[in-house]
Amino acid sequence: MADSGDLTSLLLRVEAITKNFGAVQALKGITFDVERGEVVALVGDNGAGKSTLVKIISGVYQPTSGKIILNGREVHFPNPAAAHAAGVETVYQHLALIEELDVADNVYLGRETTKYGVIGRMMGVLDRRQMRRATAAALESLHIKIPAPTMPVRMMSGGQRQAVAIGRAMTWGRQLLILDEPTAALGVEETEQVLAMIERLRDEAGMTFLVISHNMQDVYRIADKIVVLRQGRHAATLRKQETTMEEIVAYITGAK
Amino acid sequence: MSALPLTRQRAVETVARYGIVLVLVIMVAALTVLSPIIRGEQFFLTSRNLIQVALQAAINAIIATGMTFVITSGGIDLSVGANVALGGVTAALFMRDTGIGPIGGFFVAMAVGGLCGAFNGLLITRLDLPPFIATLGTMGMFRGMALIISDGRPVYGFGREFLQIFARQIDLPLIGAVPTQVVFALVIAVVFWWVLNRTKFGKYTIAIGGSEETTRLAGIPVNRYKMGIYILCGLLTGVAAALLLARLSSGDPTFGTFYELDAIAAAVMGGTSLSGGEGSIGGTIVGALVISLVRNGLNLFNVPSYWQDFVIGAVIVLAVMLDRWRKRQTRRV
Repeated sequence: MADSGDLTSLLLRVEAITKNFGAVQALKGITFDVERGEVVALVGDNGAGKSTLVKIISGVYQPTSGKIILNGREVHFPNPAAAHAAGVETVYQHLALIEELDVADNVYLGRETTKYGVIGRMMGVLDRRQMRRATAAALESLHIKIPAPTMPVRMMSGGQRQAVAIGRAMTWGRQLLILDEPTAALGVEETEQVLAMIERLRDEAGMTFLVISHNMQDVYRIADKIVVLRQGRHAATLRKQETTMEEIVAYITGAK
Repeated sequence: MSALPLTRQRAVETVARYGIVLVLVIMVAALTVLSPIIRGEQFFLTSRNLIQVALQAAINAIIATGMTFVITSGGIDLSVGANVALGGVTAALFMRDTGIGPIGGFFVAMAVGGLCGAFNGLLITRLDLPPFIATLGTMGMFRGMALIISDGRPVYGFGREFLQIFARQIDLPLIGAVPTQVVFALVIAVVFWWVLNRTKFGKYTIAIGGSEETTRLAGIPVNRYKMGIYILCGLLTGVAAALLLARLSSGDPTFGTFYELDAIAAAVMGGTSLSGGEGSIGGTIVGALVISLVRNGLNLFNVPSYWQDFVIGAVIVLAVMLDRWRKRQTRRV
């Protein structure tokens, strides 16, 4: 859950991040802030650098230069596990869950609890009963409704899957949740459920979100702040109250 | 794609899961009935023949248990047959020419198997080769090495003690005389059923087969686990190599030909998905028994042995078709 140990409201600062892939400069110096308890949307056309940036914040890629400052301290994430340890969780569009595993196994993927003491831990003997109980309780506390923690994800609808993926990230992400196109694969009703869930988690749990989306309606609805990228550069940071959907689109396309 | 109602999905899953048991029951019943009709005498349901069936199944079941892990992780190991030959020949040479003794010989076979598995794992994780290509290559390399170190000839004279330990029968209460090799296979099956279903190693094997990238993003050291999976398959193949060496009392560099076919067939017939993410050790053991029965049945009815590989190959194709069908029936989205 949201950590309120720090008095300042600044949670994450991305400072002058660049990323080169060989000769290609994917990110050319990106700077923006994310404050505690707000939903920040990261928007931009295909190839604007959104995914690269998110992968840097979540420890998949290393920046060529620039800093990531979390809670006032510079952090380095050499791998996803390091980002997880710092309380940064990412829900990837197509890579959120393992379809063949059940809900509890997914929620605890990479963070299994074991039984039989030290020997059990060395052998990695899963304590599934404990993990199922904790999963049911965690999802319940987030008001996420799923049929059963023992249901294979393969048998669930797109909305249920996204709810489980966000629930999983919420269970572990004490600081920041990054959502990659959370509604792209969903129908109208399911999209509404996921958006309502993000708003509820922000308002009730004080959770902070960085959301990548193509869908301007969704962005305009849930975001407090919109960061626009264009061709690897930071094009604009807009407060929702002070902007319009047309202005956002103008920044994305380069008309402005 | 149309999704079936959940109850229907569950029904399809159940049939796919336990269908192979039904096949086993039907085959036993059919062979029991047909054997006296065709051969004029009950050749099938005799303890001698059944022990033969179990013995044949045992060695395949041990390899197929390792193969189940590999296939569940989304990989394949085509080198197990060659690995059997290399492990057997190496162990036979060591026992013949040095004083390591029968237990030492057993561990030499296992070590060779484990090293072969580690080599496969390195090619797949470090050099990023597709498992099919990597193990196709090592299949040739391992077989070649078995021929080189044995000069292409069978190795004899490694001591009767080895056979007495690894190819005898033990008397079990209630059941009677059972070959040690069958006991080996059963113990291995139980242990690795537990590993696959109750431990992190098993869970990550399934996760890697489901989506390697998702597993990596969850912070799991995927390559380390993949190495472990191929080494496990190699070690179990080494055990099988030692048992085969004891059963046939010679180390022959041509042994184990097509063993990969039988092991893959046992796994996929038992419900392990060639596309990864799903595996069943229980199914694999039943699959190994069915294959052994197919061979036994064809023998009993004097079908030329050339047909056996044809039938086993056709069974693989059929099992994969059924797996695809099941996935279409049950997968949403």
